[in-house]
Amino acid sequence: MASKGLCQERNNTENEESEIVPDFEPGASLESMLVTTDSFEELEQEMDSSFDERQMKESTTSTISEIQEELHDTTIPEDSSSDQDDKLIENDEVEEVASQLSETSLTSNEEGNTAATPVGSLPEEEYWQNPEWKERKKHVFILSAAGKPIYSRYGSEDKLVTIFGVMQALVSFVQTNQDTIRSIHAGNSKFVFLIKGPIILVSVSRTTESVSQLVLQLTYVYNQIVSVLTSSQLTRIYEQRRNYDLRRLLAGAERLIDHLLNFMEREPAFLLGAVKCLPLTPSVRDSITQTIVQTCGKIKNLVFGILLAKNQLITLVRMKKYFIHPADLHLIFNLVNSSESFKAAESWTPICLPKFDSSGFLHGHVSYLSDDCQACLLLLTVDRDVFFTLSEAKQKIVEKLRRGNCLEAINESVNRASYTASQVGVPEMRHFLYKCRSTAQFWSPALEPPYHVTEESERLLGLYQALHHRLHAASRPLKLLHQQLEKETMLGWVTSGFELYITFEPLVTKHSAINAVNKLLRWIKKEEDRLFILNAPTF
Amino acid sequence: MADVQQHQVRRVVTRPSWSTQQQPQANGSPAVSAVRRDSTSTPVRQPLRPVETCDLTCKVMLLGDSGVGKTCLLVRFRDGLFLSGNFISTVGIDFRNKVVTVDQSKVKLQIWDTAGQERFRSVTHAYYRDAHALLLLYDVTNKTSFDNIRAWLGEIREYAQDDVVIMLLGNKADCGSERVVRKEDGERLAREYNVAFMETSAKTGLNVELTFMAVARELKSRKSGNSDESKFNVQDYVREQSQRGSCPPCNT
Repeated sequence: MASKGLCQERNNTENEESEIVPDFEPGASLESMLVTTDSFEELEQEMDSSFDERQMKESTTSTISEIQEELHDTTIPEDSSSDQDDKLIENDEVEEVASQLSETSLTSNEEGNTAATPVGSLPEEEYWQNPEWKERKKHVFILSAAGKPIYSRYGSEDKLVTIFGVMQALVSFVQTNQDTIRSIHAGNSKFVFLIKGPIILVSVSRTTESVSQLVLQLTYVYNQIVSVLTSSQLTRIYEQRRNYDLRRLLAGAERLIDHLLNFMEREPAFLLGAVKCLPLTPSVRDSITQTIVQTCGKIKNLVFGILLAKNQLITLVRMKKYFIHPADLHLIFNLVNSSESFKAAESWTPICLPKFDSSGFLHGHVSYLSDDCQACLLLLTVDRDVFFTLSEAKQKIVEKLRRGNCLEAINESVNRASYTASQVGVPEMRHFLYKCRSTAQFWSPALEPPYHVTEESERLLGLYQALHHRLHAASRPLKLLHQQLEKETMLGWVTSGFELYITFEPLVTKHSAINAVNKLLRWIKKEEDRLFILNAPTF
Repeated sequence: MADVQQHQVRRVVTRPSWSTQQQPQANGSPAVSAVRRDSTSTPVRQPLRPVETCDLTCKVMLLGDSGVGKTCLLVRFRDGLFLSGNFISTVGIDFRNKVVTVDQSKVKLQIWDTAGQERFRSVTHAYYRDAHALLLLYDVTNKTSFDNIRAWLGEIREYAQDDVVIMLLGNKADCGSERVVRKEDGERLAREYNVAFMETSAKTGLNVELTFMAVARELKSRKSGNSDESKFNVQDYVREQSQRGSCPPCNT
């Protein structure tokens, strides 16, 4: 704050943007490995197009089968086998049952009930009157269109059947008028609904997040389910049995959803629809990338090679023509983060990337580089029979990286304390988020006091969410916003090249804030080749 | 469509092709102690290194419901550790290798640890056919996991090789008070399906070495082919070995 005066001394022109060269976009790159559609625009589209339309579109353009077709004459979509494999679904029999069930869709008479594990000891009536349960800031519920409980963030969904019943009733009541329920606002609480084909997702929140942000989170949760099952399996199951208890197939995946929900409450990446990279000197990053390209270049059908550490991307190599969506990458981060088992052995894991191709699985070779380097390597392919090829490739990659001292460099960057806002040389700036729109990458410094405690860091994310919402509000989008709040001053600026969200000391004026922005942008420009991946390597 | 896929899989996978390097080792040592020596010399995590020449490579697959202790059993065998505390759920299939010595020859066990959850079923089915041995686990404290064994055996019959070695294991045998499946029930089921049976404990190590050694022995004797129909019988071997009192040699 003492330095505030200093900044004000420098005279500023009234027109803030004129100070900066129009094309100034730190971190920008002509090529990007990530799909860069702004997630909010996309969200709007997604909200409008119905699930059925999406399905139609997807089934005609399955990316995975496209890749497979390039190499084989006859390609069988991944899931056709599970039709047969899945013991549950024996067609004739099930169709019969399904037709019976569809008439009495609310009576549950299937064996799925046995999977229901009674957890907790409170009787049903008391459960949702439990104050601790009621105090939760954000509940998330998932149910089937037939009203069957699938997931509750807190408490056992079995004990909440009555609540699920109410949710289903609300949804279908509005549906009878050919309309769709989106949200209910009651006091501080928002009840947000997202209907995705056979699945209903509900968020009950007392946070400051906007409806569209809550919808985005529910979309992520839905995508997480698709990532585990594929949309084709999901559709097929409910076509065959409206009354299916999805918990059978999601067993073990609740963990992923739990983790994802917590992850979204800490990570600005979801809000920004962008990915953060591990800072590395460009030569080191290039040599890591080249090692992967050279080792895996000859392996057919390999779609993506992804190396990540500590929720940050080290490098991403892709098959020509194909890109990865940040939202898919977030699900990969979530999977790696929430699966302890990857640390202990090489895994061969089916992964569906909903934005890439929601209809089928990619097969992922997942392993950590070595005991002394906790970076996780994922090699994603459309070919289910190449585990050993990829396993060998991974060994070679590790050996080469070790020889080239890249493992050390990764460790060093992982262990080094991240840059702090004060290192930028703008004393009145506490924290910022910078997103480069052309590459869908973002960067933010380490959280310093007062934001180093969970409570405050969550509050800070809340402030960014509010700022983000104001700037991106569909009815009245803004380019620049300067807010003087009780405990801090926030500045948000959206251009065609970047989005910038800054937290200042509370008494910072607009002028000194703009001054700081210029300094900050110059600093990011100076550091851009360490903080961002500026190329888009392919196999 | 699905049929075509089946054929494809069948064409692509290597049939149980035993690697043919025959290099009899000079100094013989009893199998069990050899294993123990091995397990201490193997680093905790050593993925597919270029392995020293082995006489035989066999693919062993661990199957069974989620939470019956497949990963724990394997980690106990490979690293001599018990994973207590957090439940680490396998995602897809995990691969681990271990070389054991059977009658002076080295057998590389390539162990595929599968996720028990239903959603991975269609993925793991594709690998059944490659497996030479299947260890099918249930949890003696969980009746459902035992009841599901019949369904598992049905799937095995459908997807695995006809001559695959199957061993039924009742894990968590140390949990005396919580036990709900009697040993006799397991034995009866195993007899019905004509598969070998044992109760194991990843926690105490009971019968863990024996399980894997019996598999290695069986596969080796099959490979050498000298015992065709009157082959080394894994069921007899298991019965014999596990009858030796409460099995001190098996405890590591």
